[in-house]
Amino acid sequence: MANGTWKIARGKGSAQLPLAIVAVLAIVLVLLGKAQSTLFDRIRAYFSDAAAPALEWVRAPLNGASRWLSNVDDIFVVYEENLRLKDENARLRQWQNAALALDERLKRYQLLLNAVPDPSLNSVTARVIGRATRPFLDTMILDAGKQDGIKPGEAVVDPRGMIGRIFLTGQHTAWVILLTDLNSHIPVTIAPGNVQAIMAGDNTPTPVLETLASNTALKEGDQVTTSGDGGLLPPGLPVGVLVADGDKFRVALLADPSTSEDVRILDFKQPPEQPPAASPGDFPATAAGLKPHAPAEIPPSSPSEADVAPAPAKPVAAAAGTASQSTVPGASATINAPAATPQRGGDAFGNSGDNDDTGD
Amino acid sequence: MERSGFTSTAGAIVAVITPFLCSLIAVALANMPVSILGGLVPPPLFALMPVYFWCLVRPDLMPPALAFAIGILEDLFSGGPPGVWAAAFVAAYAVVDRQRDTFAGLSGIGAILGFAAAMLVASITAYIIVSIYYGLLPPIAPLVVEIAVSVLFYVPAAIALGFLHRRLVGPQRSEI
Repeated sequence: MANGTWKIARGKGSAQLPLAIVAVLAIVLVLLGKAQSTLFDRIRAYFSDAAAPALEWVRAPLNGASRWLSNVDDIFVVYEENLRLKDENARLRQWQNAALALDERLKRYQLLLNAVPDPSLNSVTARVIGRATRPFLDTMILDAGKQDGIKPGEAVVDPRGMIGRIFLTGQHTAWVILLTDLNSHIPVTIAPGNVQAIMAGDNTPTPVLETLASNTALKEGDQVTTSGDGGLLPPGLPVGVLVADGDKFRVALLADPSTSEDVRILDFKQPPEQPPAASPGDFPATAAGLKPHAPAEIPPSSPSEADVAPAPAKPVAAAAGTASQSTVPGASATINAPAATPQRGGDAFGNSGDNDDTGD
Repeated sequence: MERSGFTSTAGAIVAVITPFLCSLIAVALANMPVSILGGLVPPPLFALMPVYFWCLVRPDLMPPALAFAIGILEDLFSGGPPGVWAAAFVAAYAVVDRQRDTFAGLSGIGAILGFAAAMLVASITAYIIVSIYYGLLPPIAPLVVEIAVSVLFYVPAAIALGFLHRRLVGPQRSEI
């Protein structure tokens, strides 16, 4: 602060020429970054890869200190917190039971309709090793990169909801553009009403809704999820809830990137799963407690069905020993293919015993 | 005598690398994984503090090229558009360089206001570049908060930098 006490080593204005040079360089850099952003991105990815161990090293003690400080705070509210958590736990158990029952019912309906289920989302869990919440950007760095199969465009979520998208990958690190960033624009669905919109970040904690269709009736508290339009993001990822902001609506995000430590990166670019093959327990007759048709009573109608036959009965497969090991992979492939076709699915209710061992 | 020569050379090297190392640490601090302020407000622009400090007290150790390089590092680690903070730091450097007599004569609150002026120049430059870069006007409130937080943090930072300067760089002043 006491700047007046320091001697000045160089006369005023003696840096005019170097200043002019670096000023020109800075302008060139900005223009180059606009025209050739990939070049700068590669350098950035290289730097973040190189700095990852240092960031990790810095993160550990700070996280420990932060956790310790929050624990000190918690001591004073531990009793109230305990009561609140017990109450919440009891309510969540009820919801869990309801969810399990509904999940079972959904599986059964999908089976009955021979519906193709949603594609499975492979995910990679990564730690946050850096973050930048600045006036012009909201990003974070993760400790997983190309070597973990991370690709640009993939969604990043924490246990509460979506945080952002990957926009740059290094070998060991990846950069996430958060939903609040100026450059973030994602298609969303607002429920109830299935209203489609674009959610755009503006570097405030609550992104704004854009491109709303006219005459849409929205209200505070409506749920916002990803719509999956464009195929970039998986549909149905929880994003936030609507909050009014004058005559516009903003989205209060469920996730809080500033406190996220571990996140999941979802790989949506997977081939759709085949529908689950039928198993005896899934059929209405079995579920109703009735005896299912005996598969042995129905002779195979074609050689292809006869090929499918060896896989099913567990005792046979177990008795076959080495033979089962060599045939099961081929058998499962054979079984999965017809299961996806409607005509096979329709027939499967009668010939269910053929492929019951591959149902899961 | 040889020992003295060696010590002098080592001291000179330390003096040269101290501003750069401090700047490097400042960039890392501003972009570290845990938010000092709990994510409520943007982190201070730590990297500008050593640039401003040594631009005033030892500009030979903080040439424009180094300020530019620190700006690039800030751009790289913060994830923003390339060149924004590099240009902003150069702009702030240019203002401080032209008005060094005024800035160097400040002390106490005045010195803090001097940094606030440099911070304002850097922030306005960055805002203009980002506006042109993205073709839209970003909200000003986060920028104002960042300026305020940075100025607030400059007080302890200046004390720490002053201490480092006296211990590591200061002895070299006699050779100027």
